[in-house]
Amino acid sequence: MSMAVADGRARNRRLGEEIVAAVLFLLLTAIPVVTSGYVVYILPQYMLYGMLAMSLALLWGNVGILSFGQAAFFALGGYALGIVMKEPLAINPAYVGLLVALVSAALIAALVGWFLFSAGVRDSYFVLVTLALSIIAEQIAVSQSQWTGGWNGLFLMRMDLTLGSALTYSLTEDAPAYYAVLVVMVITYAVLRALTRSRFGKLLAGIRENELRMTSLGVSVPLCKTLAFAVSGAVASLSGALYGMHSGFVSPSLGGVQFSTEIVVWVAIAGRSSLLAALIGGITVSSISNLLSSITPQYWQLCIGILFILVIAYFRGGVAAALPSLLGRFRSHP
Amino acid sequence: MGSFAGVLIDATLITLVLALAATGLAVVFGLIGVVNMGHGAFLTLGAYFTWAGIQAGLPFLIAVVLSALGVGLIGLILELVLIRHFYDRPFETLLLTWGMFLVVTELIKIVFGTDFRNVPSPLPGTLSMGDIQIPAYRLAVSLFTIVLLFGLAGLLFHTSVGLRVRALVQQQESAALLGLNVERLYRQVFTLGAALAGLAGALISPMLSIDPYIGNVFLVRSFFVVTLGGLGQILGGTVVGSFIIGGSETLFALFSSQVVAQTIVFALAIVLLRFRPTGLLGSDRR
Amino acid sequence: MTETLLRIRGLSKHFGGVIANADVDFELPAGAIASIIGPNGAGKTTFISMVSGHLKPTAGRIEFGGHDVTRLSVEKRARLGISRKFQTPSVFPNLTVWENVELAVLASRKRPADTDQRVAQVIDLVRLAEFSGYRAVSLSHGQRQWLEVGLLLGNDASLLLLDEPTAGMTAAETHATAELIRRLSRELGLSAVIIEHDIQFIRDLRAPVTVLHLGRVFAQGSFKEVSADERVRSIYLGKA
Repeated sequence: MSMAVADGRARNRRLGEEIVAAVLFLLLTAIPVVTSGYVVYILPQYMLYGMLAMSLALLWGNVGILSFGQAAFFALGGYALGIVMKEPLAINPAYVGLLVALVSAALIAALVGWFLFSAGVRDSYFVLVTLALSIIAEQIAVSQSQWTGGWNGLFLMRMDLTLGSALTYSLTEDAPAYYAVLVVMVITYAVLRALTRSRFGKLLAGIRENELRMTSLGVSVPLCKTLAFAVSGAVASLSGALYGMHSGFVSPSLGGVQFSTEIVVWVAIAGRSSLLAALIGGITVSSISNLLSSITPQYWQLCIGILFILVIAYFRGGVAAALPSLLGRFRSHP
Repeated sequence: MGSFAGVLIDATLITLVLALAATGLAVVFGLIGVVNMGHGAFLTLGAYFTWAGIQAGLPFLIAVVLSALGVGLIGLILELVLIRHFYDRPFETLLLTWGMFLVVTELIKIVFGTDFRNVPSPLPGTLSMGDIQIPAYRLAVSLFTIVLLFGLAGLLFHTSVGLRVRALVQQQESAALLGLNVERLYRQVFTLGAALAGLAGALISPMLSIDPYIGNVFLVRSFFVVTLGGLGQILGGTVVGSFIIGGSETLFALFSSQVVAQTIVFALAIVLLRFRPTGLLGSDRR
Repeated sequence: MTETLLRIRGLSKHFGGVIANADVDFELPAGAIASIIGPNGAGKTTFISMVSGHLKPTAGRIEFGGHDVTRLSVEKRARLGISRKFQTPSVFPNLTVWENVELAVLASRKRPADTDQRVAQVIDLVRLAEFSGYRAVSLSHGQRQWLEVGLLLGNDASLLLLDEPTAGMTAAETHATAELIRRLSRELGLSAVIIEHDIQFIRDLRAPVTVLHLGRVFAQGSFKEVSADERVRSIYLGKA
């Protein structure tokens, strides 16, 4: 055994993930070619849920911090884009809006993160604060109706892709919007994956494994955690902005506790330690949810809750960790 | 002057109702260190049980007692099936109790539906003190909360059960060495916490319209109450924390809307805890 | 005359009424090894913790390389080169030996051009080459101690603070550890302060000994001098 075998195994796993990712992205690219209608309309929204799930997996799986506040950033993105797009700006207001969504979420996350992490707050307390963040986001969305439309929500237009004044490409049709979202999703996945495998990503993993040791090795743990939270918030906000643009509507419940909970559930079930698993989990669980909630809304949510408990109690790694070992068992006992 | 006294009374009532809602959480959190995310769902469940009791024609007080017992029983079952295997992994219990919250909430939706339910107030009138109107039922619940807190204090500090529980909090290993049945104490505390949440939900039910999510906001508020008060400072801490959360919410609500007030209070609580992570009454020992 | 790396004056630590360290003076020349012994409760770990920054002293001053580091945080001291091994080995249990050391190298203040080469070199130094692909949790207690020393080396520490580095080791492993530390000092010019219970190990180390008793410096000298001291024998060695 030893090093060669262990190394080989790790390499296989990485390769396996790359193959799955490639297949998934090809499949998603092909869908609008072979079909049209509702699927092409709705799938981008699930992909954005998948992106949102990745923003949580980055935190939970890599750094070991659980946030119940991802929905707050998602809603922030949607509202930021919606509000900015209403302004008559010299440059494409949607670009400005996306930038505002990214930057404001990163700043808020960095502020909240640094404020808490520099005091060395406990994990469970961070969960509590992010939960409060969700409630605050929902309440602001409800109460500041001159900006947000209150309970009625805020309507958005599909954006145009522009390049100077030369080129304008509208995303009003579903197929162009589909590919725009797909491209952003693939890029986000690639960037986050590169991040987790960079020096910074390895330091984050070290913090997850042994915080005290990392401090003793001279690493500023609060700074690393803050940066990770800021990146996560920015990704959540970007997906929320695109979601609002695509669905044409944002409402206070997008920021609420209910939705935050769903994100945690997707990621827990799919497997918190893999970005790809979270992405797939976000897409599939949310689409199955949508499908089944029209047939049997109550029981489906109940099943999700029970599944969540089972995963936490018995399969810490979620489906992503359970699947390979199950497959491996089949392979070794044919 | 009249309005000042009015605000004061209002703040006191809100503080006590909040303390009632938070006590169950404080007991479980403070004594056995479980972050019970299911607390809100237990509260909601208590309210629905009371509503069902009233619908079945039971007198209000009987419905309240049965609700508390019923929720306590559910807490006991969940402890036996699930929670007891995870006491040594606090973060896992947090997630598991969150899962319990999800499941219980969904069950409530299935059994009771999602429409608003109302429990008629058993004491609908108001008491007049000069020009101040005090809702009779709120006053009664507040007085009951005071009795309850003193009762719990008595239980903790003047009975042998309380002594055992306190020994457990101080030193888990020594408690086990002294021959205390740690497992059973944990179970009793968790069950008590659930029953207290059910009781709170039952008593609060006539004050608001019941929906499956009423526990959510109480959950977060209760956590702030408990952490602000300080872990392990079960009774005094709960009152102080409730006063800060409830009192300041009343104050801010004077100048702005209820919603904005709550947002400000949450933000305030986060800031306070940042600088006093062990709570206001908590000592620095860790 | 070599330069003094670590200079400590009047270091004290009180926990409430309990005096854990009182007015400790200590000096370590650059590139030297020193050991600290003393019975249980003598204040050895408290002392190391104040040097590493895990505890704030009640009074006194710690100078490292001529800088006052008394008020610096753990991570800032680590970036200056003060690195600590804990009494219970603190490694990354779910990562492999290679990944453990790689993290330490990635976190170090001056990162080498070739990370992999540096990692391999460190793993070789602490004799864990054949376990490179093993997860830390599957190592023996003694191997984990070495791995933690490897983390300090990978992190480019110049002063190693080692709290009972041979706990849980066999006699042969203990001997090898003393060899390792002497070699690190000789070949790489590293300095080390070592707390130990194991008298055999202290003898193997052949380094100056400081005896702490009830939080104070009780005796200082070579192993021979200290072990010949009747007072020391009566409090500590006498029972061995």
